Amino acid sequence: MSDRRTVTEDPALRESLSGLEASARLPATLPPAQFPIETLVPEVRQQTPAVGQRATRPDARLHGLGQTKYIDDLALPGMLHARIKRAGIAAARIVRIDTRAAEAMPGVMAVVTGRDVPVNSFGPSLQDQPVLADERVYHAGDGVAAVAAATDAIAAEALERIVVEYAPLPAVLDPFEAMREDAPRVHPPASNVYAHKIIRKGDVERALAEADRVFEGRWTTQMVEHVPIEPHAAIAAWDANGRLTVYSTLGRITLGRADIARTLALPVNRVQVIGTIVGGNFGGKNEISQEPVLALLAKKAGRPVKGVFTRGEEFYASTTRHPFFMDYKTGVGRDGRIRARKVRLVLDGGAYCSWSETTLGKACILATGPYRIEHVQVEAFAVYTNKTVAGAMRGFGAPQVCFAYESQMDEIAAALGIDPLEIRLANAFDEGAASPTGQTLESVVVKASLEQAAARFGWREPRS
Amino acid sequence: MRRRGRGIACMWYPIGFTVSANPSAATVKVNEDGTATLLTGTVETGQGSLTVLGQIAAEALGIATEDVHVVSADTDATPMDTGAIASRTTYVTGNAVKLAGERARAILFEAAAPMLGVKPEQLEARDRKIQVRGFPQRSVAIGEAARHALVGKGEPPIGTASFNPPTVAMDPETGQGKPFATYVYATQIAEVEVDDETGEVEVLRIVAAHDCGTPINPMLVEGQVEGGIAMGIGFALQEEILFDDDGRQINPNLTNYIMPTSLDMPEIEVDIVPSHDPTGPFGAKGVGEPTSVPTAAAIANAIYDAVGVRLTALPMTAERVLAAIKAKRAAQPQQLR
Repeated sequence: MSDRRTVTEDPALRESLSGLEASARLPATLPPAQFPIETLVPEVRQQTPAVGQRATRPDARLHGLGQTKYIDDLALPGMLHARIKRAGIAAARIVRIDTRAAEAMPGVMAVVTGRDVPVNSFGPSLQDQPVLADERVYHAGDGVAAVAAATDAIAAEALERIVVEYAPLPAVLDPFEAMREDAPRVHPPASNVYAHKIIRKGDVERALAEADRVFEGRWTTQMVEHVPIEPHAAIAAWDANGRLTVYSTLGRITLGRADIARTLALPVNRVQVIGTIVGGNFGGKNEISQEPVLALLAKKAGRPVKGVFTRGEEFYASTTRHPFFMDYKTGVGRDGRIRARKVRLVLDGGAYCSWSETTLGKACILATGPYRIEHVQVEAFAVYTNKTVAGAMRGFGAPQVCFAYESQMDEIAAALGIDPLEIRLANAFDEGAASPTGQTLESVVVKASLEQAAARFGWREPRS
Repeated sequence: MRRRGRGIACMWYPIGFTVSANPSAATVKVNEDGTATLLTGTVETGQGSLTVLGQIAAEALGIATEDVHVVSADTDATPMDTGAIASRTTYVTGNAVKLAGERARAILFEAAAPMLGVKPEQLEARDRKIQVRGFPQRSVAIGEAARHALVGKGEPPIGTASFNPPTVAMDPETGQGKPFATYVYATQIAEVEVDDETGEVEVLRIVAAHDCGTPINPMLVEGQVEGGIAMGIGFALQEEILFDDDGRQINPNLTNYIMPTSLDMPEIEVDIVPSHDPTGPFGAKGVGEPTSVPTAAAIANAIYDAVGVRLTALPMTAERVLAAIKAKRAAQPQQLR
């Protein structure tokens, strides 16, 4: 790989860059504005109290006028543009990576691979994810090498010249297949079932046996993306004291800084993370992604480096929502009261643990719904597959289990001839109810929300 | 024929997360002109959390929302924060901001008490003044008290505090414990039209009644609910990442991964359910994530109400709905006409 070069030291490079610099993408410039912009109407009450006001956001005017600076709008002097090469194969051993042709390209200032990462692993609960895949590829969106170049176009072209030789391994794509003993291991020698949780209250088997009616069903949900308007973006810049500043779309900078420092084997106080205004997160920007890669490229090139995920990378190289497989068995009295509910959840976690433990935990705790049920059992498994990583996403498993428990609620209501609103009111938590984990619940307004929504909708009015 | 149906779904959702500690810290500095600066380590991701935190700081200090300038998201300058995740910002960071504001306020009370000839305990902060409780005419401007604290006493009115929700670890065998400090509740009702010849589902109207404790900023609560419903509709009807047999995505682009647009949005009516959680800042809980939780279930139930088929797999695309309608017709005994 190349030594550190600068434009002035290398005449050939300087020549080739002279045209490129001019064509390099300029940072977006804004139309001139007069400051401060006149406010015609006082928008906020001058008096206190402040709480409960429909206060205008101070950033609303900036957003409305296009004055908000997202990372793509920022440029540091001499800044380079990074691209990451993605594996494009779900499971393989990496035999060799040849970066020489990419390094020889004019305008390419640094190339890194997994071997350059001091501590090549991260993750919020299990550190099972490499910053750049080194020996093994776990899913098709894994990064295998990265380039920093004078322009984004050169960086993209350089990726094409990196040669990676793979020895394909059997990929496991179905979570139920992955749970079998003889299935290929995604992270050998670890089991493919990497998280398990159970909640038990009362005697669910006896209560099911004694119930008037028992309803059974399986519900499944799909993998979806957060699709923020602003993709994952970051800039890494070092100062002469060896201190790293990272501008990032990260949603949790305190823990992100710790993760970045860990992967780079730096003391935490040598890393500054600045969270910029983010164009949508929804859980997808809860952990570090390209930040350590940009830092390594910036160090190697001696220049600040910016990376912005492509829309494709947003899909295959960021996290997604866990697909759920949900088996519900519910014992009900003729009066519509739920006596017992037994739930089994299988989460397709994709290639890495990421935020699966939190998703698993929340899904388990919430799985029986906002209902008073004496006998419950919830058991859940998170399973590795060689697919895109499932992680944090708005709701952490709640939208999945709600789809199941509320669908089954309507099935029960229809079978017993009870109105869907009334069966919910008959079963819903009251103030002071005990949750499935035995917690005494306070400020419980589920019945009030049912009544309020029903009144607004006109649920009890005769149907036309 | 287009058939109309309605479906209801309710939910509960915890505020914060379980796996580890979940703390936030905040610093509130009162300036000599009576304004304040809030330092927070959280990140604005578009939801308006910094506005809400500013309102909480303003309320604690008895000043107006626009008097608070929020500095956020710099690990060199702002205090630790677990981050903009898990619907925790209003509740956890908000509690830290409230406590920090109260600490700064206590320093102002110490400075103002001799100016007003009373004990600090007799003071309250309201309408940009520090005043004697029950005697609002006896007051000093907050800026004046801040200047006296800073220049006269040499004790700058700066408060720093942290908050970590009290929880009880779950028993690994039975899952019993107190995993979250508090929960929110909500109901959504969807009205849909299903074309029984094409399987196409159109969501006409969603009524959403959400609990968030005290709404610190009702406008931002409504914004969250509307955005959450948009996401919920995509989850319910359209969005899905598809893979080929080798585990590679086949639709990683916005041409083939279909998301709802503004044209797909139904009429949305948002109601905030009156509620107050004594453990939250000024009674607030949170609202971010729950808004997209019940949408898919409400739509699934509305589809059943419209055409009598129960979809058990998401997304409920036109193809799947039509296949279910055809399967139901095939299973029904043929009637003589």
